[in-house]
Amino acid sequence: MTSNMSSLQSFFLLAPEILLVTAALITFLGGAFTGLRSGWFVALVGIVAAMLVAGGQPADGAWIESGGIRIDAFSTYIRWTVLGLGAILALVQAGDLFRSAVTRGNSFGGGFHTGGTCEEAGTFLILLAGLSLTAVANDLVLLFIGLELVSIPTYILLALKRTDAHGQEASLKYFFLSLVASALFLYAAVCLYGIGGSTSLAIIGARLRSAGEPMPGMATVLLPVAIGMAMAGAAFRLAAVPMQFYAPDVYEGTSPSNAALLSTLPKVAGIVVLVRVLALAIMPTDAGDDAVGGAAMAHLSLFWPLAATLAAVTMTVGNVMALLQRNLRRLLACSSIAHAGYLLVGIATAAAAASARAGNGPAGADTSWTLGLGGLSATLFYLATYALATAGIFAAITYLGHRWPEWTAGSGPRPPREEIATVDDLDGLSSTNPVAAFAITLFLLSLAGIPPLPGFWGKLSLATSALEVDWNAAITLGSRRAWFVSLAVILVLNAAIAAAYYLRIIAAMYFRSNRRGVQADGGLTAGIAMLLCTALVLMVTVQPRGLFVSSSRAGNVIEKSRP
Amino acid sequence: MQEFSPSTLLVLVPLLPLVGAILTVMLGRTLGAKAHLPAIAGIAAAAAVAVMLLAATARDVSPAHGPHAEAVRPVEMISTLWKWASFDAAYTPPEGSPATDARLTPRDLAASQDVRSFSIPVALRLDPLTATMLTIITCVGLLVAIYSTGYMHDDPGYPRFFALVAMFVFSMSMLVAASNFLLVYVFWEAVGACSYLLIGFWFTKPEAARAAKKAFLVNRVGDFGLAIAVFLLWMSYGTLDFHDTISPDGVIMPGILGQTRLADAAGYAGGAVGTAICLLLLLAACGKSAQLPLHVWLPDAMEGPTPASALIHAATMVTAGIYLITRSAPLFAACPGALTMVSIVGATTALVAALIGTVQNDLKRVLAYSTISQLGYMFASLGTGTLLGFTAAIFHLLTHACFKALLFLGAGSVMHAMGGVIDMRRFGGLRRVMPITAATFFVGAAALAGVAPFAGFFSKDEILAALHAKGWPAAHGDHHAMAVAGGPFHLAAFSTDATHATATAPAVGLDALDRPETWQILFWMSLVTAGLTAFYTFRAVFMTFTGPTRVPEGAHGHGGHDGHESYESPASMTWPLMILAVPSALVGWLLFSTNWLAHFLSATPSLTAPTVAATATPHVFHMDLAIQGTLAAAIGIVIAAIGHLGRRSDGPQLERFLGPLQTLFANKFYFDQIYSVFIVRPLEALALVAALFDRYVIDGTVDAIAGLPVALGGIVRRSQSGLLQRYALAGVMGVLAIVVLLAWQLRG
Repeated sequence: MTSNMSSLQSFFLLAPEILLVTAALITFLGGAFTGLRSGWFVALVGIVAAMLVAGGQPADGAWIESGGIRIDAFSTYIRWTVLGLGAILALVQAGDLFRSAVTRGNSFGGGFHTGGTCEEAGTFLILLAGLSLTAVANDLVLLFIGLELVSIPTYILLALKRTDAHGQEASLKYFFLSLVASALFLYAAVCLYGIGGSTSLAIIGARLRSAGEPMPGMATVLLPVAIGMAMAGAAFRLAAVPMQFYAPDVYEGTSPSNAALLSTLPKVAGIVVLVRVLALAIMPTDAGDDAVGGAAMAHLSLFWPLAATLAAVTMTVGNVMALLQRNLRRLLACSSIAHAGYLLVGIATAAAAASARAGNGPAGADTSWTLGLGGLSATLFYLATYALATAGIFAAITYLGHRWPEWTAGSGPRPPREEIATVDDLDGLSSTNPVAAFAITLFLLSLAGIPPLPGFWGKLSLATSALEVDWNAAITLGSRRAWFVSLAVILVLNAAIAAAYYLRIIAAMYFRSNRRGVQADGGLTAGIAMLLCTALVLMVTVQPRGLFVSSSRAGNVIEKSRP
Repeated sequence: MQEFSPSTLLVLVPLLPLVGAILTVMLGRTLGAKAHLPAIAGIAAAAAVAVMLLAATARDVSPAHGPHAEAVRPVEMISTLWKWASFDAAYTPPEGSPATDARLTPRDLAASQDVRSFSIPVALRLDPLTATMLTIITCVGLLVAIYSTGYMHDDPGYPRFFALVAMFVFSMSMLVAASNFLLVYVFWEAVGACSYLLIGFWFTKPEAARAAKKAFLVNRVGDFGLAIAVFLLWMSYGTLDFHDTISPDGVIMPGILGQTRLADAAGYAGGAVGTAICLLLLLAACGKSAQLPLHVWLPDAMEGPTPASALIHAATMVTAGIYLITRSAPLFAACPGALTMVSIVGATTALVAALIGTVQNDLKRVLAYSTISQLGYMFASLGTGTLLGFTAAIFHLLTHACFKALLFLGAGSVMHAMGGVIDMRRFGGLRRVMPITAATFFVGAAALAGVAPFAGFFSKDEILAALHAKGWPAAHGDHHAMAVAGGPFHLAAFSTDATHATATAPAVGLDALDRPETWQILFWMSLVTAGLTAFYTFRAVFMTFTGPTRVPEGAHGHGGHDGHESYESPASMTWPLMILAVPSALVGWLLFSTNWLAHFLSATPSLTAPTVAATATPHVFHMDLAIQGTLAAAIGIVIAAIGHLGRRSDGPQLERFLGPLQTLFANKFYFDQIYSVFIVRPLEALALVAALFDRYVIDGTVDAIAGLPVALGGIVRRSQSGLLQRYALAGVMGVLAIVVLLAWQLRG
């Protein structure tokens, strides 16, 4: 089903984004007149309204195209992930805000910025609109605009939330490095334009696939640059090697609620960029024949070893760094780097499978056992489970807020309150706040991939999809199958390393006695977000099929050959 | 007419106690002394629903006689709540495995069996067996919970106790309602966990903690058997569902106990695989139902609170093994050797436990050994493999649940009044100070001893009849003899020969045990056990309630109306006793005279398998057996009366005449010592060696390997300098390296 519709119709297709922006404008304007938390209320209403108009996932293969917009199972999946996460993160951010309000007048350091709450809500909505836009973008310009609509509000949020020296340093670091990443992605966009002669991804893809062997001279030069730069741009957003350095510093420097945002939403953008670039070389679902030209073959055979290498290096770097961290947010930053590596496994698998299907090597996908998820579907499934658990942990940390100070009435002036910063601060949480301890445990176990939690299904799908590449081929040194078997082994080993530091947190909460306890002053909405994540994680645990089906539909639209 | 469909109601039975348990956990501290309310409300509602379900199921079973009588057809209803972990095209059975055997995968499946889907449907079922079990579990659970409000009063763990009881009722209801072997396994473990927590309820007491550990570990042996059995079932049948399912493309996937396979005479694996599955299921049942050689945990489990003993270790959880074997009846029917083993294990356990019970002085332990013995009776009955045997076992399960719960609660009432003392030598003549407890305990004892017309008499008579029919087939009419000699009973699924040839061929291995002589021995063992049961039961009654009135120091009564003090328990405890006394007295006669239960159960799908249903016999009252059974009971009671009636319970005992045998019985046949020498000590030695190996060899290696990521992390961390310029430089250098490598690769 293809159609080119009038601009009025494409207006309707963008209804969720438009709603989000409208809500943002209301928030900005209304902020001048109304109180503290109304901005976040409007934001939530806006997000829910956007969800309502976003519509269901189209069935297999169906899609609508209009101008630079393409709505199919993949973009719907991303949209729903973004809006769902947006709702949770809005609650987390609002909770953070409440804390700022109650700490007003308390003297310590630079403190939290207490005003500007409606501005924050509006900025957050713009961010969501941008991210949602990347999901439906079928055009380089629109994609870039979407990405910038994500980046710029992020700078603002980072800077607004925390005005002490650490916060300023974090936001500045993020700002500069993000600029570099945007510039790199722009290079990729330029090179792709050079290859395809158009900004439309559909046209660039068609040109790339029809270009035969030998490739046009320009493509030989442009293709590696385009792939490398796009990968770099995506790597920054995913926090993957070689653009991962900022993550620990920035997470540590900013507030937990901003860390929640940084560890989830940009990762979605990174995955979208990678999928869009990868999809250029994969025949779209509606194409009749399987003929793939030499240029597309070259694209794929450049893409998969790169993605596989980055995946292996990223997860290892993230996990070994996390082992040494005592600071909770630095630890989670390292963990989010490691998870970026897991996400890349599925992307690499999808590229390799496409390459195998295009006739470059022994036939794949003829397996005697399978979970029914391709590499891309596995990545999308994993993305949702990861984001849910990570957002949940940060929601819980936001909710817990501060430690009780070591202070009695007679011992001089009340010391400044300390934020929960290190793993030790969670000691004995199971006795002081059992609900939060249970929720955090659940999220950590899911991240560690303990059955039957969602993270386990995700890791299992990733590993099996990697093992399926060239299933019937012999494992010889340097063969594609050997690559992916090693990748699966590295993934499993990394999961084992990761379990060590996740379990350390759980051990601290359950097996150590608390000295001071926590105040749980982070605001009710963050607590609600935590419970919401808990409920969702449990839901996916008992009934993973819904997410399986939906992610497999989303992946199959891009990865064609799976029925 | 009905506002709720049966499937909604079915879900409510486990759900309500679960909600009760969760509420108790959450509100326990707030409610304080009222912490029992959510749990009792949940269980009470579940009991009401279970009774409704029983009635609804009974309506569906075709009437036994009258104008509308017809052949019994299976009655079942499946309610799939959701499919957990379902994967399309998950598994290809290896060539030549039983799952690809065309004779074992009937009809439509053959076409689509190349690739099988895997899923764990969370499906509940309702059939006569499940309805009966649900009613027993929830009703006994309710009475025990009410009783506990008095018994556990002032205990610091009051909310915890009720949460656990409600949790247990939930798990047990799920266990009997699950329609999938994997779910059965899950809840098999769940009831084990509840049992562990309740035995160790007073965990500060070392004996309680040790008993809980022992129960858990011994049960693990059985659970291991169940796990392997589930694996083998999956390999053999390619599914774990009980019921048939219809795949989206319209193919019927026969479940293990579904009607498609039941209708197929060759639907069940016999031979080595089938026997292995059955023996492993038997091992599982032995663990949970405390049968030889895994019975050692149950007496120690009496360290838990008495109401928990009554509910879990007498009335319900320990019958899970009976349930499992009854549910798997067609599997067993295909393996006569395994069936005979069930009876041998059961009859031996019954006899051994009864012998041990004769010399115990701890009232609760007498009852514990009696439970083991009675469960052995049920196993002996199941092993006959006849319809009569299966229904008799469930009949006895039902009556036993009533009178044993009554006896345990009575013992708890005594213990409560005596200030925690349960040694029968330290009190006596209690009928004067605890009249209600004494009267109800007497009813329970009469039922247990098999005194006509109390409940136990009728169910025990049925079991003896089932055993007798196997031992002397000619005496029970041609119909049955034919079934034994040439009917489908001797079905060997892997044999393509005519059934007749199989029947006449000399049986080998375990199957050789299935001969009349074996059953004759088993019958006599059971009859002796009946006498012993009557003896130790009335010995306990006489020691506790007759003779001069004595109470231990520390027990404090309250002023009685006629001069001496009364020790009777509060109304919350005596009412459940009186309520339970009614079915303990009457239910046997009611169900036997109408034959209602047997007919109702025969509509259970598992029991409609041709191999089982063909063994149906007309319902008759065997006067000769009744006389033999009554005689045995009478002898036991008379000996008990000679030894103990009216005497001081701390005086010289009758059992001293047994001489060295008494030592043997009192030491429980030295099972614990044998296990200690041959299993526990060697394992401990092995564990020590393993621990040393682990500490010095494995840990050393692991520490070395674990040091590697940490060392690597140290290096990586150094790059984490915090300087923005370096980050940007490293990033850009990395990207450049990538681009150069890609370009180089494209050229090369």
